[in-house]
Amino acid sequence: MELDFLHNGLLILDGAMGTVLQQRGLPPGGKPELLNFTQPGLLRAIYREYIQAGSQILCANTFGANAPKLAGTGYTVEEVVSAAIAVAKEAAAGTGVKVSLDLGPLGELLEPLGTLPFEKAYDCFKEVAMAGERAGADLVSIETMTDLYEAKAALLAVKENTSLPVLVTMSFEQTGRTFTGCTIPSMARTLEGLGADAVGLNCSLGPDLLLPLLKELCDNTHLPVIAKPNAGLPDPATGAYGMGPEEFAAALLPCLEAGVTIFGGCCGTSPEYIRALVKALEGKAPAPRTRRSTGFVCSAMAPCFLDGVRVIGERINPTGKKRLQQALLDQDLDYVLDLAVQQEDAGADILDVNVGYPGVDEAVLLPKVVKKLQSAVPLPLQLDSTDPAALEAALRVYNGKAAVNSVNGERSVLERILPIVKKYGASVVGLCLDEHGIPPTAEGRVEIAKRILDAALSYGIPAEDVWIDCLTLTVSAQQDQAAQTLRAVRMVREQLGLQVVLGVSNISFGLPGRAAVTRSFLTQALAAGLTLPILNPNQREMMDAVAAFKVLSGEDLGCRAYIARSADAAPVSAASGAAPSLTLEEAVARGLEGDAGRLAKEALLTQNELSLVEGRLIPALDRVGADYEAGRAFLPQLLSAAQAAQAVFEAVKTSIAEKGGTPVKKGRFVIATVKGDIHDIGKNIVRTVMENYGYEAVDLGRDVPPQVILDTVREQDIRLVGLSALMTTTLPAMEATIRLLHTLEDSPTIFVGGAVVTPGFAARMGADHYAKDARQSVEIARKVFGS
Amino acid sequence: MERNVSEALRYLGVRGAPDPALLSQLSAAADRLARAAPPRWVWRAFPLVHGPEGPALVGADLALPGKMAARMLGDCAQAAVLICTLGAAFEALLRAEQARGMARAALLDACGSAWVEAGCDEAQAEISARFPGLHPTDRFSPGYGDLPLSLQRDICHVLDAPRRLGVQVTDSLLLNPSKTVTAVIGLSERPQPARIRGCAYCDLGENCQYRKGGTTCGA
Repeated sequence: MELDFLHNGLLILDGAMGTVLQQRGLPPGGKPELLNFTQPGLLRAIYREYIQAGSQILCANTFGANAPKLAGTGYTVEEVVSAAIAVAKEAAAGTGVKVSLDLGPLGELLEPLGTLPFEKAYDCFKEVAMAGERAGADLVSIETMTDLYEAKAALLAVKENTSLPVLVTMSFEQTGRTFTGCTIPSMARTLEGLGADAVGLNCSLGPDLLLPLLKELCDNTHLPVIAKPNAGLPDPATGAYGMGPEEFAAALLPCLEAGVTIFGGCCGTSPEYIRALVKALEGKAPAPRTRRSTGFVCSAMAPCFLDGVRVIGERINPTGKKRLQQALLDQDLDYVLDLAVQQEDAGADILDVNVGYPGVDEAVLLPKVVKKLQSAVPLPLQLDSTDPAALEAALRVYNGKAAVNSVNGERSVLERILPIVKKYGASVVGLCLDEHGIPPTAEGRVEIAKRILDAALSYGIPAEDVWIDCLTLTVSAQQDQAAQTLRAVRMVREQLGLQVVLGVSNISFGLPGRAAVTRSFLTQALAAGLTLPILNPNQREMMDAVAAFKVLSGEDLGCRAYIARSADAAPVSAASGAAPSLTLEEAVARGLEGDAGRLAKEALLTQNELSLVEGRLIPALDRVGADYEAGRAFLPQLLSAAQAAQAVFEAVKTSIAEKGGTPVKKGRFVIATVKGDIHDIGKNIVRTVMENYGYEAVDLGRDVPPQVILDTVREQDIRLVGLSALMTTTLPAMEATIRLLHTLEDSPTIFVGGAVVTPGFAARMGADHYAKDARQSVEIARKVFGS
Repeated sequence: MERNVSEALRYLGVRGAPDPALLSQLSAAADRLARAAPPRWVWRAFPLVHGPEGPALVGADLALPGKMAARMLGDCAQAAVLICTLGAAFEALLRAEQARGMARAALLDACGSAWVEAGCDEAQAEISARFPGLHPTDRFSPGYGDLPLSLQRDICHVLDAPRRLGVQVTDSLLLNPSKTVTAVIGLSERPQPARIRGCAYCDLGENCQYRKGGTTCGA
């Protein structure tokens, strides 16, 4: 379909349907989508009023016409969508007015907040979108989204399964964020990258309060911008919306001046509002727009504008890191998350993620790692792989605008990767090498950079999304190359104006005192124009160099960040001067994580792993546990001690990985929050404490069906199962799980706990043990595993 | 707004004088919450009718069954229903904190429970201010006393909570995001006594965490 209608002057949508129906005497409640069958005449009449008022696009009554929301109504998505589109088209017949399929949220929260997987959300939207196109919709409107991830699922479903134009609007609060924390730049640039035809804001606020948000939106997109506000805010004493039609229309005029060209109304509006709006806009022309033109990557919650130096953390890369290699082979995603968290805390702006290692299926693992990281770390990710299938799988589930590392000047590589980069609206790193190798001169590398840029542009990837890696070579092997790299950095920055990437650590490979060389190179490269250093942010001297550079370049206005950073650093140096007489046992008991880890490393020089754990760590934990039981210590202390024990275990695991030995394993248990229960902090507390006694957790997460628990127990020959339930409504699921486990010939020992569980319930349900807290869970494990 | 640190200590099961280090960590967690996850709420007042089935909200098509609702609202011609939440922002913060260690996460979780209650107090003050001539009853919630948990779904529907607050009710009647409270507050022409006092009114009975630990929640 032609998109001209989105770009020719101003475009008028319709207003609310639900609140108008209520005004006409329909009781609230019930499924509005069923009115397509029961009240088609009333719907048609309201549509005609909107057309007479001046609406050029009607939204069909399909906002909740998706499988989760229609469950139990007796109607299929296909039936509701085709009826709804037919009703709207009958009203529009002969008027030239277009009919849009309306896609609202699914009514179930996506992971990680809820339990709906991204892939399942996509399938639900795909079903609606295909039904809409078959029914003859002229376009699609994705509306009232508050989760960028759900908006992405819907947009991908429409783009991949129909040829219809698609408008996307989300609902923001006055704070400039949605309920799930999505920012306006993240929304605008992610959705534009994914191929939306127009973006905007609907619902939540009136036009007056939406104005600053619409301005920010116009600053962040090339696309036409939509405003569909509510008629002000509802009065809680009466439920009535506060703004009349004239006031509504008048408040929308400043939005026109801000650059909005597509107008409509949401809750509380009616044909009167659209009529007033059309009158107010009469003779008005679109306002000129300017977009903030800069490189950009983001997660939903954290936009990252590339208008200065941004540090890319390099730690999630298994090359030369035995502990991470082992974690990837074991799919130990918590360890990967730990590396991410450390880098975030050290000040990284973007995280490179590379899981390539022999024995790892990147196409499976990379998307899993992306999901894990984005559940707890807001930093944007740079997906580092040469496998197109892995990149596509990871970009698909990424919530935001990612970067892809990397392509090079080789034609076949560009042809393989760039279409994927374009489809998902990512940024891309191009390495200055090709099938002939790395050019020895700066000029040769710039030549390749130009080739990469041209190829990207030919795929529709804008220059601001092309980052060039000028390549750091090891100075001890090719001493003349450091200068060439620095020259190339300057030339790419000055001649092409692109973002410049360098993995700086490589410069000092093989030399003693590496940090001094690396730091000096980093400083020179920044001065030459490097914008995106890839480095280890945990090395404080590197981050100091970046912070100092930002002071000297003027990026750190008033040196504020530098001063704040120095203030933060002070207590750290004080703490490191801890009492020299501190023992490992004391460090664990007092929850001193850093000291416990350090003392464990020292102890491992003279003691083997097993004797450290059994002879020193466990007795120390037991003492804290005894204090906890006696009411002398409380949950926070118990957990701090567990965390310090975690640091000891980390030292033990690293030591074993380096020697290639077998890990200390005292027994494996399954732990899960039962089906229907989604809050899992209690279960996580139990898991943490048990793990730090050396038991290995198979954590199945929350909302776990009984069958999954049974299958895991059977497949992995598990002898101990812990189940948690929080609500009286989920106790039956706990009981069902126990009953199912008891069908096993040799059923495992089962212990249960959680807010509503009592010893009495536990016994009636057939559990072997009731654990009132994490400490008791450890005692149960001791009985089962004999140590 | 009151950060309710002493309430958070109670949720953590800390008895007696708290360790100063714990208190300062808790205070820091409460400060972070105040910045990152302010409570948001919506409420709406409805006229009440008192039928044989107990009180019902007119215009919301919502009956409030059970002895407790009848007793609490017996004197009231209106009632407000309220939802207050720390939202997805809290969940994100809690996931991030869990990645940094369960000790810190447990503190944040306790602060969150206290903080959403503080939000309810604030919302209740807003309701009182909007009805200056009327006297509010104690606040009471589904799952407390004999007020059925299934009202979670109805209250969320009446207040359009998914759209206006991003709050969903699961099939097992859990509220998501987790730090979310629904409540009913009666509004009467006459001053209302404090009625909710002690475990006798509460249906949690032997399931209560405090009672398991030998204390009470203090209500």
